[in-house]
Amino acid sequence: MNLLQTFRLALRTLFRNPLRSFFMMLGVTIGIASLTAMASIGEATRQETLRQFKRMVGTYDVINIVPGAASTRGMPSLTTVEPVLKFSDAAAIADEADGVLQVAEVQNAFDIDVKYRDNITVSAIYGISENWLEMRSYFIETGDIITQDDVASVARVAVIGQDIVTGLFPNEDPIGKQLRIGNVPFEVKGILVSRGAGPGGSSLDGIVFIPVTTASRRLFNRDYLTTITAQLEDPDRPGPAIESIKTILRERHGIVPPVEDDFTISDSRANIEQIAEVSSTLGTVLTGVALIAMIIGGTVIMSLMLIAVSERRREIGVRRAVGATRSDVMLQFLIEAAVVSVIGGLIGIAFGVGGAMLAAIQQDLTPVLIWDTIGLAVLVSVSIGLVFGLQPAWKAANIDPIDALSS
Amino acid sequence: MRDNRMIEIANLAKTYRRGDGSPVEALQDVSFTIDAGEFVTVRGASGSGKSTLLNILGCLDTPTSGIYRLVGEDVSDYSDVQRSQLRCRRIGFIFQGFNLLPRTTALENIEVPALYSGQRIDENKAAALLERVGLGERGRHFVTELSGGEQQRVAIARALMNDPPLLLADEPTGNLDSASGRSIMQLLSELCAEGRTIILVTHDEETAAFAQRELLIRDGVIASDSKSKPGRSAAPSATEQGR
Repeated sequence: MNLLQTFRLALRTLFRNPLRSFFMMLGVTIGIASLTAMASIGEATRQETLRQFKRMVGTYDVINIVPGAASTRGMPSLTTVEPVLKFSDAAAIADEADGVLQVAEVQNAFDIDVKYRDNITVSAIYGISENWLEMRSYFIETGDIITQDDVASVARVAVIGQDIVTGLFPNEDPIGKQLRIGNVPFEVKGILVSRGAGPGGSSLDGIVFIPVTTASRRLFNRDYLTTITAQLEDPDRPGPAIESIKTILRERHGIVPPVEDDFTISDSRANIEQIAEVSSTLGTVLTGVALIAMIIGGTVIMSLMLIAVSERRREIGVRRAVGATRSDVMLQFLIEAAVVSVIGGLIGIAFGVGGAMLAAIQQDLTPVLIWDTIGLAVLVSVSIGLVFGLQPAWKAANIDPIDALSS
Repeated sequence: MRDNRMIEIANLAKTYRRGDGSPVEALQDVSFTIDAGEFVTVRGASGSGKSTLLNILGCLDTPTSGIYRLVGEDVSDYSDVQRSQLRCRRIGFIFQGFNLLPRTTALENIEVPALYSGQRIDENKAAALLERVGLGERGRHFVTELSGGEQQRVAIARALMNDPPLLLADEPTGNLDSASGRSIMQLLSELCAEGRTIILVTHDEETAAFAQRELLIRDGVIASDSKSKPGRSAAPSATEQGR
């Protein structure tokens, strides 16, 4: 008996015993449906998480160098960091480090009073070099960004976030107005596009950007940086650039291992993926649940097949009498189990993918088709059929035709 | 003569073991030959050993000792796979209970042996066989929609699918009314006349009358072998039917 004929025979048997076939498929269908649904909802969530974090940290291809050994808690600011990262360090990295496209300087502080006439609000102040906004994907809604000229001329200009607009300029156009940071007056030259809420739920729009030189010399009177941001040539392989920067800074700061570095390099991309990994761990757990459902499905197939083998003793006897070998009979029952399991699996995939699409649309996620998982689901359902069909098929193959025909 | 030998049984014995280990000698020192084209009945009380003999002749079982030659080939020690292949090509089985597959059409039933012959399934041949047994228009019917006599005809067509030289029929008319039974016997006689060897197990005198020869088995040995009843071979069916 060749394989094609065996498949046709299996399909015929299944279609002519629809109720039995239905119950055999049920478990696998449910298992596979939950597997594919969970996997694709999980993937949609992961991608959405990645998108959110990416929006928060800006572009993907940057690393941050912050002062202080090991990872300092929270965001660095002038009041919390060691005064070790200098402007000259940033320049050295820009000049000497391998694989670095450009370097931005940041000097920032939190909870600074910002005033306009009688209005007052509290804001984060970021002194930045002219390339920082673009590197971190901040966009201007109206007005201009901070330019190289602004930095070079130590200009008192500010680009403000949406929270500052609503806090200080509820009824007027802020562009061209003078606001005060502490007691220093700045002219508003641009307004940022809103970035919404960060991962902790707090707003990312309560922020004022000024040139880093102005921050250092006219506002804070500090000569050290809180962050150096470096954009990488090859963001997929940040390792060499990071090593190169470490070497430069150690040399400049006179650090010889095993003395600890007085700076920390954080790879935001690695952080994002770590965070996204958490949600996919959840996915793994759910996949485990689906696998258990499929084992139950397989057990159902096995028990119904065992019953079918007993019911079909006479058929087996006839087939053996007219020339079927043991392996023919074994193959027939194995293929039957595999076919029923695969059909169950395909129905499950249809339900799972459909369900996941609906769920994704309902939760405003972009639906994702994961072919990996669909392929896996097909493979798993074939295996369920073959594994759980093995014992019934073995039993069928070893039925003595003489007994079967005389019973 | 040797070319014409279908079956040669020499000093054949079959011993079973009961549950307690004591032996049961189902067949003892059985010897006979059957030529191609013979129509032989095997008779015997239940427990006489005739089922054992039929199972061995049908290559469903192997003898404990002795020789079984089928078409000149010593098949006594054949493996399970070899015997399966023999059954497929050389032997057609016809059962008392028809043993057609349920939820399967007449044509599909006839095609079953072809599945195991290693050849492409010839649907025209199956249809021709159905025609041959007089059920040409009923191929698409499920077997449950057919009468007993019709089901046995389908079973005979199935037995012929791989063109076996030997047909083994175990009480083929046992579940049929006498009219259907006679027409089945008529069909078997015709198949014999076409050159097939037929071995038939029966209790029924009237059925046995169709054969040229009768083997009587008693207590595991051949009690009588009558190559008798001249003039009552295929021919008398006409008079039988006329009754």
